[in-house]
Amino acid sequence: MTEVLRIEGLHKSFAELEVLKGIDLSVNKGETVVLLGASGSGKSTLLRCVNFMEIPTSGRIHLEGKAIGSARNGRVAYAERELTQLRSRVGMVFQHFNLFPHMTALENVMEGPRTVLKCDSSECRRRGEKYLDKVGLGWKADAYPSQLSGGQQQRIAIARALAMEPEIMLFDEATSALDPELVGEVLETMKELAEEGMTMLIVTHELGFAYTVADKVLFLSEGSILEQGTPAEVLTYPRQDATKNFLRGHNMFRLPEPQID
Amino acid sequence: MDHNWDFASVLANKTLLLIGLKNTLVLGSVCLALGLFFGLFVGAARFSGKSWLYYPATAFVELFRNTPVLVQIMWFFFAFPIIAPFKIDAFTAATLGLTLNTVAFSSEIYRAGLQSIHKGQWEAGKALGMSYWQQMRRVVLPQAVRRMLPAFMNRAVELFKMTSLASVIAYGELMYQAKVVSTISFNPIEMYTSVALIFFLVLFPATILVRRFEARDTFRR
Ligand SMILES: Nc1ncnc2c1ncn2[C@@H]1O[C@H](COP(=O)(O)OP(=O)(O)OP(=O)(O)O)[C@@H](O)[C@H]1O
Ligand SMILES: [Mg+2]
Repeated sequence: MTEVLRIEGLHKSFAELEVLKGIDLSVNKGETVVLLGASGSGKSTLLRCVNFMEIPTSGRIHLEGKAIGSARNGRVAYAERELTQLRSRVGMVFQHFNLFPHMTALENVMEGPRTVLKCDSSECRRRGEKYLDKVGLGWKADAYPSQLSGGQQQRIAIARALAMEPEIMLFDEATSALDPELVGEVLETMKELAEEGMTMLIVTHELGFAYTVADKVLFLSEGSILEQGTPAEVLTYPRQDATKNFLRGHNMFRLPEPQID
Repeated sequence: MDHNWDFASVLANKTLLLIGLKNTLVLGSVCLALGLFFGLFVGAARFSGKSWLYYPATAFVELFRNTPVLVQIMWFFFAFPIIAPFKIDAFTAATLGLTLNTVAFSSEIYRAGLQSIHKGQWEAGKALGMSYWQQMRRVVLPQAVRRMLPAFMNRAVELFKMTSLASVIAYGELMYQAKVVSTISFNPIEMYTSVALIFFLVLFPATILVRRFEARDTFRR
């Protein structure tokens, strides 16, 4: 089994505030890993360190077996070019979609291949159409984001990230900004990706999704991984009090009822 | 009050007025082009947040926003030649005053336009692997410029009206030509009425255009 992502001893501080306190994590090819945790526990920060939207304070990130950055006198230095190159290999889906409003759905999906990968125009088009079809929105190719529902916008944003043909996909609460009736279509798209063998690291509060789709669930608390295991282990038989409290607060979790004493 | 309106004397001097209109348009266009060009750099300097760029740019903007244009023009014409080693003609003085003023105001439009673009847009570009300039060029500027367009057009209309201030240093734009002609032909009433009308005829279509753009500020729907 090949390891796509390895995180070693990741620390991240914002000024005085230490948000991540030494994270070790490994994600294998084709695995779906779900990250849970209370608000402010550092889930977004962890994801954003993986594609270097935030620069780690210390620790090391490896993609496909290769360490990012170069170590010099005990510190890791990152060249801007290396980081933009790395980001093109890691897909990210945001809570608020962040589609480009001045581009059609198809143009949004083609933008990465075109501007970053410098694909020729027929290849850009091929990828654009392929990934729009994949999320079931080929028929909306010429629509602008403002003409689409939230669920459709998020699926386009997923297609935009997929068009880069990344090695891993990161999802930061991809359904939290959606009306409840639109959550399903986005989760369905994510589930299909997982079944097709996409490697994914997902932050979500949809525990039902985590239970049925994840290979591994991690519970993050105050910047450390407090508990991890299969969905059944973490979600139905949590060992730590923090995890139990967190799960008690999530009434969406119905499948099956958690066994909390 | 009885006034016998007589526009014949205005028409008799229409060549002088047309020269004035041409000079007005030249002065306005030159100041607009230079002002928008340099304004982008001053605006970007303020947007950058780098203090060695931010503070000088801010000082410049505040200086020009908080002094009257008339004073700026007079200053460049009368005071500037004393500290500068070269003579300065009316056109240059007016151009300096109006251009620097336009730089100051347009830089604010650029800055506000860039700031109005949500941070998530930069991030979406960055996450795809775009460099800072690719994010700027492909994602941010196309959206920002659309939002700035009405403000720039308003500014352009203001600028063309302000060119009339150059008459105080005897630059031969429309207002100055009218003043000269009216003192010779004793028809200030008809003359200034005509000047107002000419400005209106040139600028009114422009403001209509601005309103059109404001109406379609949002993206196609
Ligand atoms: N750029 C930043 N500057 C300063 N502090 C930050 C920054 N980003 C995050 N933080 C702080 O880091 C902590 C963790 O934030 P993070 O967004 O990672 O939490 P989260 O687990 O994603 O929470 P949520 O469920 O609310 O999204 C919070 O206290 C937050 O205020
Ligand atoms: Mg978050």
